Amino acid sequence: MSTKTREAQLSDAFVKLADILIDDFDVVDLLHWLVEKCTEILDTQAGGLLIVDHVGLLELVASTSEEAELVEIFQLAGGYGPCLDCFRTGEAVTVGDLDAESHRWPKFSAEALRLGFRSVHATPLRVRGQIIGTMNLFSHHVGALAPTDIAVAQALANVATIGILQERNIRTSQVLSEQLQHALDSRILIEQAKGVIAATTGMDMSQAFSAMRDYARNRNLPLRQVADGVIDRRVQVGRPAPQ
Amino acid sequence: MTGFAGPRVPTPEPDEAIDLCRPFLSSLPISGVSVTVISSSGTQSSLCSSDAVSARIDELQFELGEGPQWSAARSGDMVLLPDVRSGGHNDWPVFGAALRELPVAALFSVPMRMGAVTVGVATLHHTKPGQLKQEHQNTSLVIASAIAIAAVQRAMASAADDVAPESVSTPALRREVHQATGMILVHLDTTATIAYSRLQAYAFSNGRTVQAVAGDVVAGTLRFEKTFP
Repeated sequence: MSTKTREAQLSDAFVKLADILIDDFDVVDLLHWLVEKCTEILDTQAGGLLIVDHVGLLELVASTSEEAELVEIFQLAGGYGPCLDCFRTGEAVTVGDLDAESHRWPKFSAEALRLGFRSVHATPLRVRGQIIGTMNLFSHHVGALAPTDIAVAQALANVATIGILQERNIRTSQVLSEQLQHALDSRILIEQAKGVIAATTGMDMSQAFSAMRDYARNRNLPLRQVADGVIDRRVQVGRPAPQ
Repeated sequence: MTGFAGPRVPTPEPDEAIDLCRPFLSSLPISGVSVTVISSSGTQSSLCSSDAVSARIDELQFELGEGPQWSAARSGDMVLLPDVRSGGHNDWPVFGAALRELPVAALFSVPMRMGAVTVGVATLHHTKPGQLKQEHQNTSLVIASAIAIAAVQRAMASAADDVAPESVSTPALRREVHQATGMILVHLDTTATIAYSRLQAYAFSNGRTVQAVAGDVVAGTLRFEKTFP
């Protein structure tokens, strides 16, 4: 493959990425597309993306083939391999000849070779010093990636990182926004219910609150649910005051 | 959760609430600012006002359920009113009229965006008319987004607290208004929505704030009867 073609492919890839990122996008689709494109541009045969989840465990989120998936899962299950080393150190890991370097990860190398892979390159997904995953490319041929190829892989991985962060940011905002709504709405219902109890029983607001809280605790019900019932007048908390 | 709250001890102004207003005041040519968190269901928690006029602008928009803050919250876009005397209040006629009673010449509603979601509005005002320069508009948007998460967390913490302090400059959820709504719904044997409308209507027709009328209802000095008081 000539350099010219690769440059053209690469600029096409970046244009497409920019288009995806400014629109609504599905992050899994994006990562699949990216790892496929990367595999193609860098003339490797398979690729996979490992991303750290919300509890800090690596997960396989995209792969180009079943073989790639198997190799990645094998590493995750065993807890070691070049991709995991890349994740731990935050440095790219290139293994030009898995057979020759099999002493580094004997079981992993055996499995990768069995599936037809002879070399592997792992690129960290890095953001402000934090590693959120790795992009891994597998080749049927022996030979380390050239420095220019390594730079290309890193550039594409960086774009993937932006996509992942953008998606996570949106998801976090949505979760927080739902929590906010729940917190504010619950409190308003509770305050209204206090008013209902105060008006029906003659209690003051803090007595009304305690009565409602005790009612909820004794019946093991969420306070908000009791408040809802009180406002709808389905639930009677406290003894009604004689009119 | 706490038990009996006991008599409410006057609480000093929480410093951190005022901190949310401060960056606007120190970076922008404005006379005052208030910061309000608004949930996607339209529930508002007013976190800080830098002065009495800002507090009143915030209160009016809460009471009336109309005003530029609601447009900014819905659209996620700034609403710029460089000269409030020159009209442009078609979407909030009552608020527009009420604004004339206040020493406010320019009003800017800045959405607090968090990712794709708008979680509240910062309302800036000036005693002199004039457009907010583009760079100041940008600055106000940046500040509003920068304080968004802190504001949301504060609003949630305050809502989760059974006896959170509320004050004129940090009215938060205006709990007495909701307590009064609960009392009125019993007195009138109706729903919360109708009870709240009655509270609003009574306040407007008597030229008082909803908060003040609610205070009377909770204190037991005002009771709504089935025939309109």
